[in-house]
Amino acid sequence: MGYFWREAARGVRHTGWMSVASVLTVSVALFVLGVFGVLSINLEHAANALNRQVELQAYFKPSMKPAAEHAFLAALKHEPGVRRVIFVSKTQALGQLKKEFPHDTTLWQLISQGNPLLDGFQVYTKQPRQIPPLARTLRKSPDVGQVVYQATVVSRLTVVTRILRTGGYVVEALLAFATLFIIANTIRLGVFARRREIAVMKLVGATDWFIRWPFLLEGIYLGLMGAVLASAAVIVGYHWVFHTAAHVVAFFPLAGVSVIERSTMETTGVGGVAVGLLGSLWALRRFLRV
Amino acid sequence: MVRAQARVLWRTRGRCVEEHRIWGDAVIIRLETVTKRYPNGHVALDDVSLTIPRGEFVFVVGPSGAGKSSLIRLLYHEEVPTSGEVYVDQFRLGRLRRGQVPRLRRLLGVVFQDVRLLPDRDVYHNVAFAMQVVEASPRDIKKRVPQMLELVGLQARSHHFPHQLSGGEQQRVGLARALVNNPHYLLADEPTGNLDPETAEGIVKLLSEINRRGATVVMATHARDIVNRMNRRVLAIEGGRLVRDDARGRYEEEGPARTTWLSTVSHEA
Ligand SMILES: Nc1ncnc2c1ncn2[C@@H]1O[C@H](COP(=O)(O)OP(=O)(O)O)[C@@H](O)[C@H]1O
Ligand SMILES: [Mg+2]
Repeated sequence: MGYFWREAARGVRHTGWMSVASVLTVSVALFVLGVFGVLSINLEHAANALNRQVELQAYFKPSMKPAAEHAFLAALKHEPGVRRVIFVSKTQALGQLKKEFPHDTTLWQLISQGNPLLDGFQVYTKQPRQIPPLARTLRKSPDVGQVVYQATVVSRLTVVTRILRTGGYVVEALLAFATLFIIANTIRLGVFARRREIAVMKLVGATDWFIRWPFLLEGIYLGLMGAVLASAAVIVGYHWVFHTAAHVVAFFPLAGVSVIERSTMETTGVGGVAVGLLGSLWALRRFLRV
Repeated sequence: MVRAQARVLWRTRGRCVEEHRIWGDAVIIRLETVTKRYPNGHVALDDVSLTIPRGEFVFVVGPSGAGKSSLIRLLYHEEVPTSGEVYVDQFRLGRLRRGQVPRLRRLLGVVFQDVRLLPDRDVYHNVAFAMQVVEASPRDIKKRVPQMLELVGLQARSHHFPHQLSGGEQQRVGLARALVNNPHYLLADEPTGNLDPETAEGIVKLLSEINRRGATVVMATHARDIVNRMNRRVLAIEGGRLVRDDARGRYEEEGPARTTWLSTVSHEA
C-alpha cells in the first residue's frame, strides 16, 4: 500500500499546476454544496422551531388580574373550533426563554432586572383555517394585548426549502460535472506524462489495477484537498454569520455551529472522495493499451 | 451457415490446443504460419513457422530490418500476428484475454532493443520497479536487486540515473531488470548491441548460465563471433522469412554461396 501512496504523491507533483487548478475547482464546487447544506439545515431548523410553536399565541394586557385571565380562558374553551387552550404565565415564559438561549448574556442582564414578559395563552384549533377568524375575534377583545400566529410563515418556509433543494440539486449537478471533467483531465495529463513508465510497467507484467491504483488515489487525494478547503471556508463563514446574526437579531433561529460543522465536513468529505474517485475512473476507463 | 462455420472454427481451435498439448512440456514456444503486417502495409514476418523446446538457447540472426525484433515482440505480446498463431508456454497469444497478459509477461524476462529504462529513476529503482510491479515484498526486493546489479557488474552504479550511463551500461541494467524476477523465458533483443567485446562476452556467459539453470533463451543478435563460438541453434531471418534453422549453427550459412547479405550485417546497428 505504501507503494501506491508514494506513486500517487509523485503523480500530484508531476501534474503541478493542473493539480492546484483541480483542487480549487473541487473546493469551489464543494463550497457551494456546503453553503446549500447550511441553508437547508437552517431553513429546516427555522421551520421546526416555528412548527413547535403553537398555532396561535396571544398575550393579555398587563392590567389583567389572574382571576380574570382564568375566567377568560374558561370561556374561550367553549368557542367554536377551539381544540385546546394552554395558559402560559410570564414566569413560565421566562423559563422557556432561558432554556432556549442559555448563553445569551445580554438577555440575561435584561431579564434579571425584572420579568418584562406577559401572561399569555396558546390556542390550538381543530382546523388551521379556523385560526384567522379566531385571531380577529381575539384582537377585538379589550383584555387581549397582542395576537400572533405563524401558520402561513411555516408553510412558506416549507415551500422555500423545497425550491432551494431543487435549485441546489441542479446547481450541484452542473458543478459536479465540471469538477469531474477537470479531475479526469488532471489524471489523464498524469497518465500521459507517465505513458512510457506505464508501458514499461505493463511489459514487465503489471496488472491494470496495479497501474490504476496510484491514479485513483491521486483523484481521491485531489478531492479530499478540495473538501478540506471548502469545509474550512464554509465553517469559518458560518461562525462569522452566526455571531454577527446573534448581535443584529437576537432571536433569529440559526442552527448551532457544531451541527453545521459536522454536516459540512461530512458532505464535503464524501463529495470530495466521490468526485475524485469518479473523475479518475472516468479518466482511466480506457487508457494506454500495450 | 454461420453456426456451422463457428463450429468448424471452434474445432480447429480445439485441435490446435490439443496439438500443442501433444507436443507437451517439450514445446514452449511455437509459431504457426505467422505473418505480421504493420498498419503501414509493411510485411515484417512472412509465413514463419518454428518451434522452440523447453530449455533451449536460440539465436535469431539476420540483417537489420529482417524482422528479428518483430518476432520477439510477438512473443511477449506487444504485437499480435496478422495471421497465424503464436503459442508461448500455456498461452495462445492470438486469443489472450486482457487479464491474462500480465500472467504471460511474468513468465518472461525481456531485454528490449531500445532498453526502455525509466529516465527519472536511478539504476537501483529501475531494477526494483520490475519486482514492485509483480508485488514482491520489500524485503525480497532489498535482497535481490543488489545481487542482480552485481551479476551484471553495476553495483557501483546503483544511484546513477540512466542518462549518466553509457549505452552498454544501460543495456546491462535492462538485463538485470529482465532477470530479477527469475523468468522461465528470457527474450533478449540485441542485448550486446552497444557492448565492447569483453563485456558482450560476459553477458553471453551470463545468459548461458541462466539457460543452464533451466530458462529458455531467445536472443536476437548481430554478433557473429558470439554466435559462431557458442555453437547453438540458429534461426536466420531474411526479409521476414525464416531462411535457415540449424541445430548447431554458425552465423553464416556453410559455404560461400550465400554470404552476400551477411557481409553487410556487421556494419549495421
Ligand atoms: N511499428 C512498425 N510499423 C511499421 N513498420 C515497422 C514497424 N516496426 C518494424 N517495422 C519494419 O519491419 C521491418 C522489420 O523490423 P524489425 O523487426 O525491427 O527488424 P530487425 O529487428 O531485424 O532489425 C523493418 O523494415 C521495419 O522498418
Ligand atoms: Mg531489431
